[in-house]
Amino acid sequence: MIDRQIVIRVASLALVALLLPATLMAHGGVVEEDDLCVIKVNYLRAHFKIYQPRISGHEQFCEDLPAASESVFVMEYQHDSLSFMPIDFRIIRNVTGKGRFARIEDVHRISDIDAETVFYQAASLEPDVYTVLHDFAEEGDFIGIVSATHPDTRKVYAAVFPFEVGFTGWGYWPIILGLLIIIQAQYLLMSGRLKRWFGTASAVACCLVLLPGVAQSGEFVVTYSTPDGAVEINRMHSWVLHVATAAGKPVTGAQIEVDGGMPAHDHGMPTRPRVTRELGNGDYQLDGMRFHMGGYWEIVVSVTTDAGTETTVIPLRL
Amino acid sequence: MTPDQLRISAAVVVAAVLVSIWYLRDVDPAPWSDGEIALLQSLWLENLPELPPDATNAVADDPQAAGFGRLLFFDTRLSANGAVSCATCHQPARRFTDGLPEGQAIGQSKRNTPSIVGTAYSPWLYWDGRRDSQWAQALSPLEDPEEHGSDRRSVLEVVAGDANYRSAYEDLFGDLSELSAAEETGIDTAFANLGKAIAAFERTVLPGPARFDRYVAALLARDTQQQQELFSADEIRGLRLYIGKANCMQCHNGPLFTNNEFHNTGVLSAAGEVPDKGRAAGLNEVMRDPFNCRGNFSDDTDPRCDELDFARSGPDLIGAVRTPSLRNLEGTEPFMHKGQLATLAAVLEHYNEAPDAMIGHNEAKPLGLSGRELRQLEAFLQTLQAPYSSQFDSM
Repeated sequence: MIDRQIVIRVASLALVALLLPATLMAHGGVVEEDDLCVIKVNYLRAHFKIYQPRISGHEQFCEDLPAASESVFVMEYQHDSLSFMPIDFRIIRNVTGKGRFARIEDVHRISDIDAETVFYQAASLEPDVYTVLHDFAEEGDFIGIVSATHPDTRKVYAAVFPFEVGFTGWGYWPIILGLLIIIQAQYLLMSGRLKRWFGTASAVACCLVLLPGVAQSGEFVVTYSTPDGAVEINRMHSWVLHVATAAGKPVTGAQIEVDGGMPAHDHGMPTRPRVTRELGNGDYQLDGMRFHMGGYWEIVVSVTTDAGTETTVIPLRL
Repeated sequence: MTPDQLRISAAVVVAAVLVSIWYLRDVDPAPWSDGEIALLQSLWLENLPELPPDATNAVADDPQAAGFGRLLFFDTRLSANGAVSCATCHQPARRFTDGLPEGQAIGQSKRNTPSIVGTAYSPWLYWDGRRDSQWAQALSPLEDPEEHGSDRRSVLEVVAGDANYRSAYEDLFGDLSELSAAEETGIDTAFANLGKAIAAFERTVLPGPARFDRYVAALLARDTQQQQELFSADEIRGLRLYIGKANCMQCHNGPLFTNNEFHNTGVLSAAGEVPDKGRAAGLNEVMRDPFNCRGNFSDDTDPRCDELDFARSGPDLIGAVRTPSLRNLEGTEPFMHKGQLATLAAVLEHYNEAPDAMIGHNEAKPLGLSGRELRQLEAFLQTLQAPYSSQFDSM
């Protein structure tokens, strides 16, 4: 069970990394968050889960299903609006040729969607929770399409999630394997072992931007220090940001916006931190920092000067 | 082995034997503590309060209405095919249930047939509480296409066309006017009256004292010998689990062994169906029911509808269904709202596991009871068997 969770986490991390542009362009989909499976229908979110009660009892699935069987799709709204929006649900064979990377645009390109539809539940208003049942007749690659229509604007919000029923291919495994290799390489790099093995300075240089404390993006290099001591979770604290040019010259008088979150969990910070004053010499006091769980965070720093705005991401592992 | 090692291993063996003896001992697990006796008394049928009055039903306690209602309850003419009565599913011999996963009448009903024994005490009827009185409930199956499949006009025509029924009706409710001429509200009022007569009968159907109740009486009388005759050691242990670590009394409390409230306990959906929304849907329905406490057909001249006014709503009610009584479970299997669990043992196993609910949130927590403890709990539940009691003994 633990192993499976880790694998799913890693898989979703990989997906975030590889599919970020796709996710942004599509109107929504299904993601793992904090051990919860979440469907995003545009800005509307719902806890999403699938059951195969006849063969797997109470076991929950996020996307892929073990076998062709009676399957119950459940959406528990995290956003009240969905209670007031008629929702329809369609399952089509995945004929997009894009496999699990299929997006809504790919679905729109299917000429006769009805011919590929294996299940369709007409729009209905479901307060509280949305449930549909489909008994899959065969294994294969499918795409689920959830559409919610706004009652006032008539705008249609859609979420698309490709999934497999039964084992039909390698699925996420190549990605997971690749990611594990990257993680291992990163670990070796960080621990300095690779350097000892190869003694190549270039390998370290290429990855310096990933080391905590430093972020570089073109014009500016943003570094931080934590005068309150090491960063702990669940504690409000302050940072001092130092902004300098690539040549090392301090940047003063900049407007700085800060936000952050956990890409793997798809949530932001529990606070809304901000720069409260400029300390001089390119240093800025950043107050209101707090992290509410351990793991990989990204702090997004936007630096605005007369030359324009530049955004830098500071990676942080807690 | 050195002498020291010998002594240590001997000590280990002795300890193991002592632990086994302690574990397997079959001493009388009574006596009960004062706190436990208070809990046992709270479950005792002697402490069942008087029937709560139903101000919305003027004939609720009228024996004549109950007699008329009883005839209606067993009359198959009140159905589209002439073969279905209330007793088709609510069979007296099976504690007013039918032994099926879901009721079978003209078609298949949507849920497991609940007993009507003691339902006069419940503010809500049906698994999802979609009716708020016995009489409002009694009307609904008559017009359900899967159950009686009839309609109010046809049902009233049967009553009007039967001389005995007609006079019984008119004695209780006044003139049964010509149906062809009657206005819609007249039809509805007459229809509601039939429900009130059926409810007057159903109000008399109450649980009888079980072996458990006699055990509590013997306990309170400090009659040790009778206690031993009435309850085995396993049944006593099962009872102690029931009022203690099995958490049963969180919901199945009071002399009827139910709080008549709504709880999600994470039961798996029935085959071919999406999970039942339970009370979340039932609450909306009872609020809209024209025969509810606030409706025009209530006999209460100064209606206070506290149950409707203070009804709780919210996400906790998703997938929640009404707690059934645990008195007289024999012959009422399969259990749960869709008859998903075939045996009492399966139900206990389910609560022991307390899996996550498919929709909403399972309120139950895993119990971690051993197989032996589950069997003891089941043995105790068997002590709640008793014939129901009604003033109509001839059934």
